[in-house]
Amino acid sequence: MIDLIHVTKRFGDAVAVDDISLSVARGELCVLVGTSGCGKSTTLRMINRLIEHSEGEIHIDDQQIRAFREETLRRRMGYAIQSTGLFPHWTVARNIGLVPRLLKWPKAKVQARVEELMALLGLAMEAFAGKYPHQLSGGQAQRVGVARALAADPDILLMDEPFGALDPITRQSLQDELRELQSRLHKTIVFVTHDMDEALRLADHLVVMHQGRIVQQGRPLALLREPADGFVESLLGGEDRGLKEAALLPVSQRMLPLGPRLLARERIGQHASLREALSVMLWRHAERLTVVDDDDLPVGELSLRRLVGVRSDE
Amino acid sequence: MRLEKSGPNVVLLSLTLVALAAWLGLDTVSVAANRIVPGTGYRVDEVIGAGGALATALPWLALAGFAWRPARRHLLLALVLVVLMLSALPAWLALSAVTLVDAPQARLGIGAGIWGVLFLLLLALIELRTRLVLSRLLGWALLLPPLASAALCLARWLEPLALWQEYRGRSGQFLGAVGEHLLLVGVAVGASLVLGVGLALAMRRWPGVQKAGFGMLNFLQTIPSIALFGLLLAPLAWLSANVDWLSALGVSGIGWAPALLALVGYSLLPMVRNTFVALEAVNPGVIDAARGMGMSRGQVFRQVRLPLALPVILEGIRITTVQAIGLTAVAALIGAGGLGTFIFQGLGQAAMDLVLLGALPILLLALLVDALLGALTDILRPGGAE
Ligand SMILES: Nc1ncnc2c1ncn2[C@@H]1O[C@H](COP(=O)(O)OP(=O)(O)O)[C@@H](O)[C@H]1O
Ligand SMILES: [Mg+2]
Repeated sequence: MIDLIHVTKRFGDAVAVDDISLSVARGELCVLVGTSGCGKSTTLRMINRLIEHSEGEIHIDDQQIRAFREETLRRRMGYAIQSTGLFPHWTVARNIGLVPRLLKWPKAKVQARVEELMALLGLAMEAFAGKYPHQLSGGQAQRVGVARALAADPDILLMDEPFGALDPITRQSLQDELRELQSRLHKTIVFVTHDMDEALRLADHLVVMHQGRIVQQGRPLALLREPADGFVESLLGGEDRGLKEAALLPVSQRMLPLGPRLLARERIGQHASLREALSVMLWRHAERLTVVDDDDLPVGELSLRRLVGVRSDE
Repeated sequence: MRLEKSGPNVVLLSLTLVALAAWLGLDTVSVAANRIVPGTGYRVDEVIGAGGALATALPWLALAGFAWRPARRHLLLALVLVVLMLSALPAWLALSAVTLVDAPQARLGIGAGIWGVLFLLLLALIELRTRLVLSRLLGWALLLPPLASAALCLARWLEPLALWQEYRGRSGQFLGAVGEHLLLVGVAVGASLVLGVGLALAMRRWPGVQKAGFGMLNFLQTIPSIALFGLLLAPLAWLSANVDWLSALGVSGIGWAPALLALVGYSLLPMVRNTFVALEAVNPGVIDAARGMGMSRGQVFRQVRLPLALPVILEGIRITTVQAIGLTAVAALIGAGGLGTFIFQGLGQAAMDLVLLGALPILLLALLVDALLGALTDILRPGGAE
């Protein structure tokens, strides 16, 4: 869906992005991660031509992006940024309806779409439609920003550290919501962040950048297990990698069927991560947990030995 | 309301006490036998006797009392009292005219005491309006009773008032001068608005223009206005002597042409500076989002940058207009007309009341424009943002 082929960007003599190649498949959430100044935003902004690339080719659906008018290209892609960029002189509803209005949708259709999106992002119509951006909390403003990016139902979503300015709790709940939205909407998303936990939590495809180059890309688990070099390893957390990997794996993957033994007292949901299971064990001083389904019925058990990956259990 | 805990309203209290001192200590009116001779001043007690003067202190003391215990109810009473006292000032002049002026040529002058009290009472009115959070409109409406009282007194009893005499001698000329003044200001501000916005846009596009432009405008601003009129005299005189259609238009070394040029010159700097800063200061994240959403350059400018900059641009227009109203007074020196004419005539004839006839309307115009454009800026700040 999105292909960057040997793309380079120079600002004067400085090389901001150096010969990168990258493919994002339809419906995939691709995260660009790296220390600040490594060229993530530049890469993202070349895709919607806010920055023109110096060399190489960028394709959308196998068409060169330069074949489109800039405005036409951008209206096909949602764009959400850290500062939200909401228009302070427009109400929430008017902000969200921006791109549909640019595309000259009929009024009633814009209105219906705004209502639909506000419901989708948990913004009550009566409470928020008439508010101005300065009356919103950081998390609410960012929700409006995401709603605005989704307004014209674009296939592609470009997000530049959209949750970077939020407190950890709000950030995590918005990350969960984004994953949830994505499982329903199947957009093709390019997401920029410098926060590795966020990257691991969200990514289908993880791209690690360093000094304008891509140093490694692939599935998050693959990167965790086999970092290409010391830089990627340290970025992935060094000794913490075990916990980061455990955070990506669900309990259901390591649990055993219920055996003849008594049920363990401590419980854990089957969709929880191994990291959460480990935390419960540490906190409760328990070696075994009973795994329960959504209705709190036991479906299996998880021992510490299984959790850490020892094959046989007795 | 007995248990009001907040302390005295120091602003209102000091305004009241200073005004009381001015009222009792300074001459409230002066009487002169004719237009030329200097007048004799009269304090309050010299008009109505010591007992009467003490009686007039009572409302002031009441006002001070309200200021001492500024509960909302007290402040409302204070507001009523201030409006009544403002309305009483013309009545005081009328009373003085009736008791002190006997000869038909004699003239009544307004003394320092009245001017001081007028000024301090208006300040008190502003303070009360702020404390009571009254709307702008209501604030203006409060001035209606004093104005009505002034109109009534002028019509009935204030025949000998010097200012009134000066006005009646030139009422036609006066309206003409107000018209000229407004026309000069309007054309100068209009022209500098068009030029200024154009220049600000050019500066945003070409950094070279920015440096040169601000350098020149700053320099222009440092030339004293009289000197600028002088500098324009020679080239304009030459132009009108050599270019027929210009002289047919009435362009010459003195008169409206150099005045207008100088006014536009002075008006450009505040106009350009505010417009430029306003357009530059729009949050770059908002512009980035606007472009990223697929707005064209024109749409970004018209729908985002300009509306967000508008309050600051209007602020520039306000500053420029108020400044131009004052400068136009100086332009009368080179025969451009306007209210300044009375000021310079008055100075020449040592007739202070004629000076006032020019200066007071200029002051009022400046205040009026300031208030109107300020209100407009507030209205245009959508959603009360930032
Ligand atoms: N408009 C620009 N002009 C010059 N240099 C730029 C510009 N934008 C970015 N850069 C430079 O390019 C490099 C990469 O920037 P950026 O892509 O914003 O990094 P990141 O988003 O990863 O923090 C930085 O060194 C930055 O200074
Ligand atoms: Mg960045």
